[in-house]
Amino acid sequence: MKTKQDFPSINEREPEGLKPDGTPYRVLVVDDSMFVAKQINQILTSEGYEVVATAGDGEEAVEKYKELFPNIDLVTMDITMPKMDGITALEHIMNFDKNAKVIMISALGKQDLVKKSLLLGAKNYIVKPLDRKKVLERVAQVLKKE
Amino acid sequence: MSEQELQVQENKNGGEVKQERILKIDFKMVTFSLAGKDYGIDIMNVKEIAKANRFTYVPNTAAFVRGVYNLRGEIIPVIDFRIFFHLPAEQKEEDAMENLLIIRKDEQIYGIIVDSIDKVVGVSSEQIQPPHPIFGDINIRYIKGVVEHQGRLYIILDVNRIFAQEEERKRTSIEAEGMPLYTPPVMEGASPARGENREGPNQAVPLEVNFIKETLFALKHFATTAINEKWVLARYEEWKKERQTSDAVQLKDLDDAEAFLKPFYSPYTDQFWGDDYAAAVRSLLPDMPGKTITVWNPGCGKGFETFSFACILRERYPEHRIKIWASDSDLLAISSAPTMAFEYEVFPEYCRPFLVKGKYGYGFNQVIKDAILFEYHDIRNNNPYVDLDIIVARDILSFMSPEEQSKILSDFDEKLKASGLLLIGSHEELPAEEWQFIGKAPVALYSKAK
Amino acid sequence: MRVEYINPFVEAAFNVLKEVLQADIRRGELYLKSTTMPVLGVAALVGLAGDVEGRVMFDMSKTTALAVASAMNGEQLSNFDELVKATITELANMITAQAVTKLHDLGFRFDLTPPALFTGDNMEVSDHEVEALIVPMETPQGKIEINVAIRERV
Repeated sequence: MKTKQDFPSINEREPEGLKPDGTPYRVLVVDDSMFVAKQINQILTSEGYEVVATAGDGEEAVEKYKELFPNIDLVTMDITMPKMDGITALEHIMNFDKNAKVIMISALGKQDLVKKSLLLGAKNYIVKPLDRKKVLERVAQVLKKE
Repeated sequence: MSEQELQVQENKNGGEVKQERILKIDFKMVTFSLAGKDYGIDIMNVKEIAKANRFTYVPNTAAFVRGVYNLRGEIIPVIDFRIFFHLPAEQKEEDAMENLLIIRKDEQIYGIIVDSIDKVVGVSSEQIQPPHPIFGDINIRYIKGVVEHQGRLYIILDVNRIFAQEEERKRTSIEAEGMPLYTPPVMEGASPARGENREGPNQAVPLEVNFIKETLFALKHFATTAINEKWVLARYEEWKKERQTSDAVQLKDLDDAEAFLKPFYSPYTDQFWGDDYAAAVRSLLPDMPGKTITVWNPGCGKGFETFSFACILRERYPEHRIKIWASDSDLLAISSAPTMAFEYEVFPEYCRPFLVKGKYGYGFNQVIKDAILFEYHDIRNNNPYVDLDIIVARDILSFMSPEEQSKILSDFDEKLKASGLLLIGSHEELPAEEWQFIGKAPVALYSKAK
Repeated sequence: MRVEYINPFVEAAFNVLKEVLQADIRRGELYLKSTTMPVLGVAALVGLAGDVEGRVMFDMSKTTALAVASAMNGEQLSNFDELVKATITELANMITAQAVTKLHDLGFRFDLTPPALFTGDNMEVSDHEVEALIVPMETPQGKIEINVAIRERV
């Protein structure tokens, strides 16, 4: 008779945040709201992702990306921020690294902003309020594409 | 065994013997004060309490009858208890608010003026003692009893005896002689618009009309002032003939008030302006300078008036840009305005050149729609409209309180250009000192007086 | 305020609150107010520009703010600290942004400025007597009044 030990853990799922080699994906979270940064952090860490840095404005985001490159797998980018907004920051990061994976996060769902960011190279766009399932889905989707 | 004995027995078994009596609270009264003493009335007789100051004086009644009061449409007699009981009362300012107890006895409602109303006090009927002449300044037959509560002594009045029919008649005749005559404050009459003589037409107007004016305001928020008094008085004469018996002349409820006001409304209220009225308006519109015509249409309701006027302007001034601010404080009515649609036949002739067919019927084309901004706005609040060429405010002023009317009218004056025009209700009129009539019945069009 | 602007704000408030609080939200009757003084104790302000000029204010008591922030963070917060402020600010931002998005779809161009949070007892804010639309929202955490004062750019 086959027992549970004979089968690989069917009911246990691999946390999405881990790469095939077992190390976590490294994420840079960019948002000027302490609340949103905390929320994204919680969602991602619960699935095994590693939030290696947080930035509170576009300028800081570009700096940190350049610093941590090439050890950044993903960036979540808020759009409305002081000093430099997310769209501009996206542009800079894409110029620096054409393979950068950036997901835009915003409360504004205006079509032109979505289009603009995708044209500039963002891989996806999430509208706030953040839904845990949706965030994880989109993140996983972006990271799988190679 | 009475409650008291039971209590004493229980406590005898050790411990302290407390003299507390467990009493049932079975009598509640509303307490108030008259000339510094505390009184109470059975709460079953008290309908409500109110603060009021506008009593319509009724001549030829006893001094303790302060007049009548309009309590949400019901006319009730108001009695000043201090005068009734010969108690000293402080002379208040004419307009000061009095404290009223609203009492119900059988089917009749009365208002009673007292010095101040305190609270509801509950006592046990066992504690009420019969009145002793020494307790009251008031004739003993009106006192049900006396009770002490939390260190205060309350004299409980017997409302039934006070308002008994026979007693009243007897008292009225006795008291009428030798009682100081109560001098009423200046009679409530129409508030004047700016510049008009206060004493004007009021003195000749009979009391009945005042009742009607009060009721119109209470039920329909229609305020009679110089703007519409002429109409109200004329309508009153008509109404009397219609209603014949004096009892039926009174406006007893909302239906009566609405029936009275029915002929007041300007033509085509709440509908598209008919071709006749529209043509009359058009013929009175002068040439306009400049390139834009800015209009404000407060009280636009569902928008019929606004669209009608927009079509008239569009045709009359083909070279001008038209901009109409249409506002109303009725959110439900104005919400449907921007997208109104009907069958073709519903639209009058002069509107038809501006229609397009849509999914739900015919509606106005983009040219007309773009000319109008519908806003949810209360005319009593500030608004940013300035430098207006035309204001269309039909039957709006009459439904504002007298103070609001003058404020809004002076607002209109400020917001209009020097050459501005004001279109009001067909039965409304403006003071000749500030406004010049350039219309023709039923179009009440005015320009600013030079 | 233009009638077309009203629904987007009402819907956005309802949708966002329902989603972030995961509870039954009820809308009270809309009305107009002539002074724009916050009455409840905590006010989050988002500026509006574009086709209109003005602002949206979210007014609530401190207790409600703490309760809302607690619900949104999934933990009991009892001090009015930076996290609570950031949370309420973000709530104001989300509701306004959703309304602006809806308005955009209707053809109206609005922009929003970053939100600001004000707290205090007996606060008084007067913007030269502008008329405001009040949308009262009842939540299990308490009442939140959404106060919109905008006018057309002439």
